[in-house]
Amino acid sequence: MSKGKRLACTAAIPLLVCVITNLICMAKGVAMFESSLHVLTLIRAVANVILVTYALSINLNSGRFDFSVGSIALLSSVLSSAITLKYGLGPVPMLALSLLFGLLLGLLSGFVYITLKLPPMIISLGVALFYEGLAYSITDGHGISFINNKELLGFGTIPNYLIIIVCALIFMVILFDQTTFGYDYKALLSGQRVAVNTGIKEKKNALICYGAAGLLMGAQGFISATTTGSIQMSLNFGSIGIMFTAFLPMFIGGYIGRFSNDKLGYLLGAVSMAFISLTYVRLMVNSSVQQVVSALLLVGFLIYLNNEQRILSLFRKTH
Amino acid sequence: MKSFRKILVLALSFVLTFTLAACSGGGSSEGGSSASEGGIDDSKNVKIGVLVADATGAEALAFRSYYENYIAKQYNVTFMYSDELTDAAAEASAIDNFIANNCKAIISFASSDRPAQIRKCAENKVYYAVATGTLSDEEYAEFKDNEYYVGAIGPDLATEFQAGYDMAKFYLDQGKTKFAIFGGATPYYTDMHIYRTAGMLVAMCEAGGGTYNGASDFGSMIGKIYEMNCQLEPAKIGSVEVVSYIGGYDFDDAWFGKLAEAANNPNVEVLLTVGSGLDTFAAFKQESQQLATVDSYTSDAVAAMKSGVLNYLAGKYSASIGPIFMATLSAVQGKPIRTANGEALALSQGYWVATSAEEAEKFYAVDSSTEDPAYTRAMLDTLFGASYDDFAKFVSAYSFEEIQNLKK
Amino acid sequence: MDNEKILKREKLRRMLFSFAPAAGLVILFALFMAFAIAQDINIPYSLKNILNQSVIVIVVATGAIFIYTLGSFDISLGANMCVSALIGAMVYGRTESLVMMLGACIASAVIISLTCSVLASVFNLPVFVTTIAMLSLLNAAVLMLIGANGTGDIIQVPAEAVSSINTIQFKLFVLLAYLAVCVFAFSFLKLGRQEKFMGGNPVCAALSGLNNSKLAICAFALAGLGVGLGAFLTITYAPTLSRNTAGSVGMDVIISIVFGGMPVSGGARSRIYSASIGALSMTLLSQIMLMMNLNSGISQMVKAVIFLLVVFISMNDGRKTILPR
Repeated sequence: MSKGKRLACTAAIPLLVCVITNLICMAKGVAMFESSLHVLTLIRAVANVILVTYALSINLNSGRFDFSVGSIALLSSVLSSAITLKYGLGPVPMLALSLLFGLLLGLLSGFVYITLKLPPMIISLGVALFYEGLAYSITDGHGISFINNKELLGFGTIPNYLIIIVCALIFMVILFDQTTFGYDYKALLSGQRVAVNTGIKEKKNALICYGAAGLLMGAQGFISATTTGSIQMSLNFGSIGIMFTAFLPMFIGGYIGRFSNDKLGYLLGAVSMAFISLTYVRLMVNSSVQQVVSALLLVGFLIYLNNEQRILSLFRKTH
Repeated sequence: MKSFRKILVLALSFVLTFTLAACSGGGSSEGGSSASEGGIDDSKNVKIGVLVADATGAEALAFRSYYENYIAKQYNVTFMYSDELTDAAAEASAIDNFIANNCKAIISFASSDRPAQIRKCAENKVYYAVATGTLSDEEYAEFKDNEYYVGAIGPDLATEFQAGYDMAKFYLDQGKTKFAIFGGATPYYTDMHIYRTAGMLVAMCEAGGGTYNGASDFGSMIGKIYEMNCQLEPAKIGSVEVVSYIGGYDFDDAWFGKLAEAANNPNVEVLLTVGSGLDTFAAFKQESQQLATVDSYTSDAVAAMKSGVLNYLAGKYSASIGPIFMATLSAVQGKPIRTANGEALALSQGYWVATSAEEAEKFYAVDSSTEDPAYTRAMLDTLFGASYDDFAKFVSAYSFEEIQNLKK
Repeated sequence: MDNEKILKREKLRRMLFSFAPAAGLVILFALFMAFAIAQDINIPYSLKNILNQSVIVIVVATGAIFIYTLGSFDISLGANMCVSALIGAMVYGRTESLVMMLGACIASAVIISLTCSVLASVFNLPVFVTTIAMLSLLNAAVLMLIGANGTGDIIQVPAEAVSSINTIQFKLFVLLAYLAVCVFAFSFLKLGRQEKFMGGNPVCAALSGLNNSKLAICAFALAGLGVGLGAFLTITYAPTLSRNTAGSVGMDVIISIVFGGMPVSGGARSRIYSASIGALSMTLLSQIMLMMNLNSGISQMVKAVIFLLVVFISMNDGRKTILPR
C-alpha cells in the first residue's frame, strides 16, 4: 500500500467523524467551536479517553480483562491528593504522585495475578473491590475536595492536556514498539506457550503490563480530580463504568493500526470519540440518547470491522 | 508443596484480615447510664437498623456521624447500617436483615418503596420511622393508624419547593436575570429535585413577569415539568432567562463539558443547583458568578463559602434526625408519640440557609460538633413520651436561632 | 508403584480442590452460625432471608452458566432483568394477570438475550462487546419505559397482587424447577457436552461439526429464561420498580459464578451448580459482614480478600507453567 493511501486510511475515520459532527451541529444552527472552551472540552475528552484506552488495551490485547482500571484511578488520585493537600504541593507534584501510586497499585495488581495465577478477570474483580474499599476507608467515605485550590484546578489547560496526550503516546510507542519488552509482549500475544518455551519471562512481562496500565490510570485519575476539584467515592464496582468508554476507540485503533501504528490508531479513535462527545455538549443531547447513539456506533463499527470483506465485495458487485 | 504454602499464606492473611476487621467492627454501645429523669430506660441496649440510600454523600455521612458519634454515645443504642440501597428489592433485603438481627426499630433514609418498608416492619412488629423525608398524602392516609409506623420528619415537597423558590428569589431580588440551572436527578423523576427546580422557575416567573412554557405557578409548573418528561430546556421567562439547563448525574466527559459550557457562558450571572453544587458547577464557575446549592454543612462547603466559590447554601443540619430518633426510641420503650387521634407523626422541617461565610461557619460549628450539636441529649430527652403538640412545637422550631433559643 | 502413588495423590488432590467451593460454602455457613449464635439473632428468619436474597441471583446465574461454558460473557444481564421486570409490570398494569406478567417477563428477557446472540452470530461480532452495547441500549430503554408509563419515577404492581406468591415455597418451587431444567439440559442432553467442548476448544469443536452460533443461541435462550424468571421473582419480592432495579445483579452474577468455582473461560470443568454455591456463599458472607457491623469500606476489602482466597483454593492447579488468560 502506498504511503498516501496509508495516510488516507489512517486519517479517514477521525476526519469523517469531524466532518459529520460539524455538519450535524451546523444543521442545528450551532457552531462546534465557538470558543476556546470547546477546544478545551475536546482535548480534555481526548486525554481522558486515550489514557483509559491505552490502559485497557495493554492487558485486553493479551486476553487479560481488567475491571480494576477505574479503581486504580480512584485510589491513586485519593492518595496523591491527600498528600498534596497535606503538604501544600502543586499540580505537578500531585501528577507525579498520582503516576507513582498508579504504577504501584498496578504492580500490586499484577503481583497478585502472577502469584495467585487466577484468571485475570477474577483478579481484577477482587482488586477493584479492594481498592474501592481502601479508598473509601482512607477518606472515611467523605471523598476528597479541593474545590478552593485554584492552583490544582488551574492545571486543566489545553497545553497541559496536550502534553499528557503526547507523553502517553510516546510512552506507549517506545515501551511497546522500541523495547525488548515490547517484542516479548507481541510474542506472548500471538503465541503464549511458544513464547514462554523460547525463554520469554512471561511473569515479568505481565507485571510490567499491569504497572504501565496503572501508571496511565494514575494520570487519568489526576485529570479527573483536577477537572472537578473533588473525588467521589465508589463502592460495589461503581468504578468499573469508565472502562466501557474505551471499547470503541480500541476497535477504531485496531482498524487504523493496519495502516499505521495501533497506538496512533487508539489516539485517533479517542479523537473521534471526543468529537462525538463535544457534539453531545453543543447540542445538549440528553443521557438516554447519548447511550443509544454510542451503543449503535459501537455495534455498527464492529459489524463493519467483522464483515469488511463481505461489505466491500457487496459494494464492488453493485458498482 | 508450593501451592500448599501459598494456601497457608493466604489463609493466614484471611485470618489476619478477619481479626483486624473484627477489632474495628462496631459493637454494642456503652453510651448512657441508668434511666434518666425523662423515663428513658438506658439499661437495655436498643438495636436500631438504619436504611441508607447514599453511603458516600456528604449529607448522609453527616447524619451517620451524628448518630454514631453523638447519639450512640449518649444513649444505650446500637445503630446497624445497611449497604447503599438503590432499589426496593435491596430495601426489602436490608429490612429482613435487620429483623433477623433483632432490631427493634428501623429508621429509613431510603425511599424506593416506603409503603413496602412499613408493611414489612409492621408484619414483624418492628417500629419504622422516616428520617429527612415524608410520605405522600395517600401513603400517610394508609399508614397513619399503624401502631408500628412512628412517623416522618423532614422536608416535605412544599418545603423542597420553597427551598428552590427562596434560592432563586434571593438573587432575583438583587436584580439578577440570567441563570443556569443544574436539575440534579430531575430527569430520573426524583420528586425532591423536581420540586426544587419548580420552585426556582416559579420565582423567575413572578420576577420576570412571564411563564415557563406556559406555566407560572406551583401546580402548573409541576405539571409542565412532567409534561416535558422531566427533560427541561433553557427558556426566556419575561425579563428573566434560564440561559442553560443541565440535568442528570452522568459523570462523563459530555456531562462535564455541558457544566463547563453553562458556567463559562458570559451571560450567566447565577448558577443555581438543586444539589451537588460543589461537585458540578464549582470547578467551572467564573469569579463574577454566584453559585447556590442545597447541600449539607461540611468543612469543604464552609471553605467554599469563605473563598467565594459558593455563595448560598441551604442545608439540612445533621442533628435534624435527632427528633425522629427520639420518637422511635419513645415508641420502642412504650411511649409512642401520636396525635390526639392516635395517628403517626407527619412533621415538616426545613433548611438552614447561609448566604455568607460567617453564617456558614456559625452553622457548621454547631452542626459538626460531637460535644454540643444542634440537638443535645438534654434537649432530646424532653421529647421522650412528650405530647404531640410539644413534639411538633419542638420540631417546627428548626431555624438556627430558634434552636439556640431552645438550648438556653 | 511410585507412579501409581503419584497418580492416586494427584487424583485425590484434584477431587479435594473440586470440592473447595462447596467446602467454602460450608465454612461460611459455619461462621455465619457461629456469629448468629454469639449475637443471638433470629436464625430461622435469617435463613429464610438468605434464601430470599440468593434465589434471584441463583436463577439468573444458573442460566448464565450456559453462556460462560462457551467461554463467553454477558454483562447486560442486570439491565435485561430490569427491562423485563418493567415490561412485566406494565403488562400486569393492563391485564391484571400474573400469568401474563410472567409470560411478558420471560418473553422480553428471551428476546433481548436472543437479539444479542443473533446479532453476534449473524454479524460475526464478539459476544461480549455486543452485550456491552446492549447494556447501553437497555439502560436507555429503562428510562424510556419509566417515562412512557407516566407514573413518575417508578412502575408498580400492587403489593396485594403478588403477596400470595411472595412466599418461600413459591420461590423454592421456581428455583428448583428451573435448576432441574438446567441440570437436565447441561448434564443429560448433548447441549451441555457440546457447550463444554466448544468452550474448551472452539477449533476442534468446529472441526467436529459443532455450530458455535447454534450453541450460542441455545445458551442465550436458556439464560434469557433465567433472567425472565429472575425478573418475575424480583417483582414478587419488591413490586415497586425503578431505574435502579436489578442494578447490582450483573456483577453479582459474575461474582457468584466465579465464587462457585466456575472457570471463567468455560470448557470441560464448567459446573451447573457453581452459581448456586457461589450465590449462597456471597449472601452468607454479606450476612457475616453485616453482623460484624463494619465500616462499608473495610467490609468490602474483607469481601475482596475472601473472594480471592476462596477462588484461589477452588481453582488451584499447581502445574500451571503459563499464566492464565
